[in-house]
Amino acid sequence: MGVLVGGLGYRNLRDHSIGIAVSDTLMERGWPQGICVEDVSYNPVALVEHLKEEKFERAVIVAAVQRPGRVPGEVTAYRWDGKLPSDELIQAAVVDAVTGVIFLDNTLIVTRHFGGLPETTAVVEIEPEVHEFGESFSAAVAATFETVCELVTTLAVDPQALLALPRAPLGGVSRERA
Amino acid sequence: MCFKNLPVEFDSAGKAFLKAGVANPYEWKGAVGAPTQLTHDKIETLLRKNGHIKSVDFDPVTRVAGALAFHSVVDFKERKVIEARSMATLFRGYEVIMVGRDPRDAIFITSRACGVCGGVHSATAAMAIEMAIGCKPPPLGILVRNLSLAFEFLYDHPLHLHLLAGPDYSAAIVGATNPSLLARAKKTEARHTEFHGYRTMGDLMEDLNPLTGKLYLEALHMTRVAREAYVLLCGKYPHPQTMVPGGMSTTVTLTVMSEMATRLVQFFDYGKKVALIWDDITEFFYEADPGYKKVGTRRASMIDTGIFDHPDGYDATYANAGQTGEMRWLTPGAIVDGKLVTTDMHRLNMGIEEFVEHSYYEEWAGNGSTPKFPKDEMGNPLSPWHPWNKITKPRPSGQNWKEKYTWDTAPRWDRNSMEAGAYARLWNTALAQKAPKSDFFESTGHSLKVRLPKGALPEVEIEWKVPTDWNAFERNRGRAYCLAYTTMVAWENWRLAMERLKIGDTKVSTPFEIPKKGEHLGCGYWGAGRGYLTHHLVLDRGAVSNYQIITPSTWNASPTDQSGQPGPYEEAVLNTPLLEETDDPKQFKGIDILRALRSFDPCMPCTTHIHSEGGVITREINTCACGADD
Repeated sequence: MGVLVGGLGYRNLRDHSIGIAVSDTLMERGWPQGICVEDVSYNPVALVEHLKEEKFERAVIVAAVQRPGRVPGEVTAYRWDGKLPSDELIQAAVVDAVTGVIFLDNTLIVTRHFGGLPETTAVVEIEPEVHEFGESFSAAVAATFETVCELVTTLAVDPQALLALPRAPLGGVSRERA
Repeated sequence: MCFKNLPVEFDSAGKAFLKAGVANPYEWKGAVGAPTQLTHDKIETLLRKNGHIKSVDFDPVTRVAGALAFHSVVDFKERKVIEARSMATLFRGYEVIMVGRDPRDAIFITSRACGVCGGVHSATAAMAIEMAIGCKPPPLGILVRNLSLAFEFLYDHPLHLHLLAGPDYSAAIVGATNPSLLARAKKTEARHTEFHGYRTMGDLMEDLNPLTGKLYLEALHMTRVAREAYVLLCGKYPHPQTMVPGGMSTTVTLTVMSEMATRLVQFFDYGKKVALIWDDITEFFYEADPGYKKVGTRRASMIDTGIFDHPDGYDATYANAGQTGEMRWLTPGAIVDGKLVTTDMHRLNMGIEEFVEHSYYEEWAGNGSTPKFPKDEMGNPLSPWHPWNKITKPRPSGQNWKEKYTWDTAPRWDRNSMEAGAYARLWNTALAQKAPKSDFFESTGHSLKVRLPKGALPEVEIEWKVPTDWNAFERNRGRAYCLAYTTMVAWENWRLAMERLKIGDTKVSTPFEIPKKGEHLGCGYWGAGRGYLTHHLVLDRGAVSNYQIITPSTWNASPTDQSGQPGPYEEAVLNTPLLEETDDPKQFKGIDILRALRSFDPCMPCTTHIHSEGGVITREINTCACGADD
């Protein structure tokens, strides 16, 4: 039992790589026993298998995701309510999973449906600005990097901080909806 | 006669030459006897005049890898499809990315063409480099490359059969589209209960249900078993770290071999079960309604590069490519209208052309200019539209059925629209009778027998017979048998690899250098789980000056060509009867069309979603790109 800190995304895709960049950075830091920092950007079905073996108590997943109504660099953190879409959409997520798609929603849906994802899972999303190949972040996303690292660290080591996050569906509670 | 449409003839020694007296030998002429579809002008007229004729679009086609859209026009009165257009909706661009790079980059970059079968792209890239630079892998290197890619297929085939195509035959879907068929299934005893455990077809179809069915969940598990074996050799899945020109960079020990074996033997029983399940599904549907033999039917015209090199056969040269191919455990070949016309790699290569009449690319040939490579190194003639002569010039534009509507090109072999698939390998191998002798399989000239050893189930010999009807069901059945065949090829290679280890031969790669001078041609001929795969490379002073990939779905998703000859998806859908139990277009789910399409195991372009204006990257960013041309 422990805490999984997972960075998710594609490498060398500028803002879309921030999830992995965060996990790469945090891996270099010292962590209390029981906290496991990983790159979880791989086949979600394989991640299900990994999660079932490790049986984490909590998880913090960080990724760049484009959502309507957010501004570039905006950070959204929430406890996922775990509500799954229709079976048809879950099946679509599985198909994406087994054919190589790496995407936050997909990974969360597949790992929740097949089991393994901890009941208490915090999601940290960063709104990307640029959508192209490259190694550097846009200014908006680069400005959030350290903040995101600190936020993820806090959520990983402090269960109360994680529980204090709003419970929300995928995408969190947007400013428009709030 | 090998070629009926290209003006290529052969002398008494088998050397190819262009027929004399032909002023413009590669001037466009369509394949003799090929089907054509109606012009879009005629379709528009029919749509205007007939209320029962309607457009039915599938965008995206779900349960396929990547982005495929399909446009059809359906005559609901006659219950048939009268127009079919296959659209690869995204641009891949590997050919553009590769230009100017070190050729070794191809192994890692082109692997990203696919989120399922990255290994075969890496291996094919490595082989193209091997040919260009003259580097032959050692025997163990060839054997472990075979093993690693066999495991990739053991991932790929169950994935398609029970996660992507399988639901089309499940109780959940059949109950919704053909309730009387499901009722019949519940009363029909299954033929091979002793192997799969299902008393009735209804029971079997229940377990094909997505998300909950036992066959669905079992396939998920078996993909894990195959992946575990794959990463023992390749480091990680799907993009291997150990493919190199000249072999593999992995360390092969008895421990690794033992770990592989414990996973491979699990496929002995699974191979029996899956083949016989698809026998039962196919025969049940045929008996319930012989009209199902027409679902997805088209000419049995297909092409395959063969796969799994024999260590005594592969020397990485173009000169010996013919021998290399014919010594493969699965034989290369071209089949036109059910007849095997060649198994020779050189003839396969010289017959390939790519056209862009209806594709979002600019033409690069046909204006009378001399192609850069009018002949291969053996003196065989090459078309200006051959991959070594091709120049990728993307030109995005609006969708127009009369002009351009897809990012896929129209590959043709001897001007024929050919399909690719795992079954093409079986078909070639069954007819050619050239595969290496084995205790586990035998080609008879009309079938392939596979002997699967005892596991929890008894030892059994299964036999895949060359189909008399060619359709969606036979594609799936062939793929299921290919799972068993691949299992035993892997076992054969495992045993040979153990023999190498026993004599202390642990060498898995040959050192090489990339030549910094001169121009060198290479081509990797291999295969994906979905069939045919080639990488054509031109190396100029140490850097890539041209790189062209043709994938199985490049063939299958091909658009109609300038003669009106439809691509394989299009042709299969045009021939598909609508057996769904509804007369109401609003209730129409198009299950028969979808069965036809999914039976090809479509794998569409995704990886570099370079949208010309917005630089858009979509979430499918790294899924399978096996269908794209560029």
